[in-house]
Amino acid sequence: MAEQQEVQKYLQQSHDKIFESNKKWAEEQKAKNPQFFDELQKGQSPDYLWIGCSDSRIPAEAITGLGPGEMFIHRNIANLVCNVDLNVMSVVNYAVRHLKVKHIVVCGHYGCGGVKAAMTPQDLGLLNPWLRNIRDVYRLHEKELDALEGEARYDRLVELNVVEQCRNIIKTAAVQQSYAENEFPIVHGWVFGFKDGLLKDLKVDHEAILKDIQKIYNLTN
Amino acid sequence: MATAMDALDRIVEGNRIYAQKTAAKDPNAFLELSKGQAPEILWIGCADSRIPETTICHSRPGELFVHRNIANCVHADDMNAASVVEYAVAHLKVKRIVVCGHSKCGGAIASLGDADLGTTLNTWLHPARELRRRHKAELDALPDDDVRALRLAELNVHQSIDVLRQHPAVKKAVGDRGLTVHGLIYDIGAGQLRLLEDAAARGKGNGLWSPNRH
Repeated sequence: MAEQQEVQKYLQQSHDKIFESNKKWAEEQKAKNPQFFDELQKGQSPDYLWIGCSDSRIPAEAITGLGPGEMFIHRNIANLVCNVDLNVMSVVNYAVRHLKVKHIVVCGHYGCGGVKAAMTPQDLGLLNPWLRNIRDVYRLHEKELDALEGEARYDRLVELNVVEQCRNIIKTAAVQQSYAENEFPIVHGWVFGFKDGLLKDLKVDHEAILKDIQKIYNLTN
Repeated sequence: MATAMDALDRIVEGNRIYAQKTAAKDPNAFLELSKGQAPEILWIGCADSRIPETTICHSRPGELFVHRNIANCVHADDMNAASVVEYAVAHLKVKRIVVCGHSKCGGAIASLGDADLGTTLNTWLHPARELRRRHKAELDALPDDDVRALRLAELNVHQSIDVLRQHPAVKKAVGDRGLTVHGLIYDIGAGQLRLLEDAAARGKGNGLWSPNRH
């Protein structure tokens, strides 16, 4: 019983910390700019949509130095953009058609647990259907990946997965139609590395991919 | 096009500054992060740009596992959120799940009416609109749409929590190791988080955290 109380106390402290930290942060912002929160209240018009991994080590706004109001964010396991996933499709739709973001960044990261799991011959139950999408990326690039070993293969699948998700975003009606009309959004593929904390640009060629996919996936009427 | 590229340069530059500052403060910071993650909290929040969870909680990288979508919804048939929950609870073994809604939520405001937002968003927001119908009398009695949207955001957090509690990994972890689930509301105009009381659990002493419990 005493032990249970200790655990409760510890859990409460770790949760209290969030509220204390949040209060401190709010006070700091108000001290810097008394209108800070009033302005945020009026609405959002972010330039970017970020699709990243849920991994706790890659908080999108912190690693790009952006403040509240600047980046619309979706994060899931292994930054996937699946065609039949209403969740991510709603995010893309809202960001492109309603917020009119200028850039969409798909950001993966080396050492991704989701990609690792998808390279493992193991039944992961509920996660199987989601990770299946990454196994499909492997199949698309089987020759290239099989020629690599160990970490190199793992790193390359992280990169190829990002490029494939960029392609999936470009295939959406929202992006194709908005781009035809406004020349934005532009889709970018990046990878975050823990080695140096830097983002690597995979130089995804938005125009070229768009032209390529439109032979089959053209939804611009 | 010039401005579009400037916007991108900005975050690339921002990332350089982040990497330099982090390494200057602690040369081993990235080495430590590269070893793995052991977050205690799964944060399910809104995609809204004004609520960057790590910033508003003054947290550090590695502390919050994050899923963010339109209006912080957890729907029973959504494999995206279900996969995040499965990974966080069954594999990373987080101790708490937090669902955070917020004031001025575009999804909640849209759910107060039936404007056609296209099939994708209409379908995603359908459960929130149903929630509005079920609580019509209560919402109608409120003074204005701001307050109504805030109340709908609260109801939506409770609904997401109800769905979460049915997730097999959550059910198991609540029983086996005392995982707890909490609702929060972030006030954009004040920058502050508020804990939602779990009405169903009040006074039952089921292990839910509350600020006054000792």
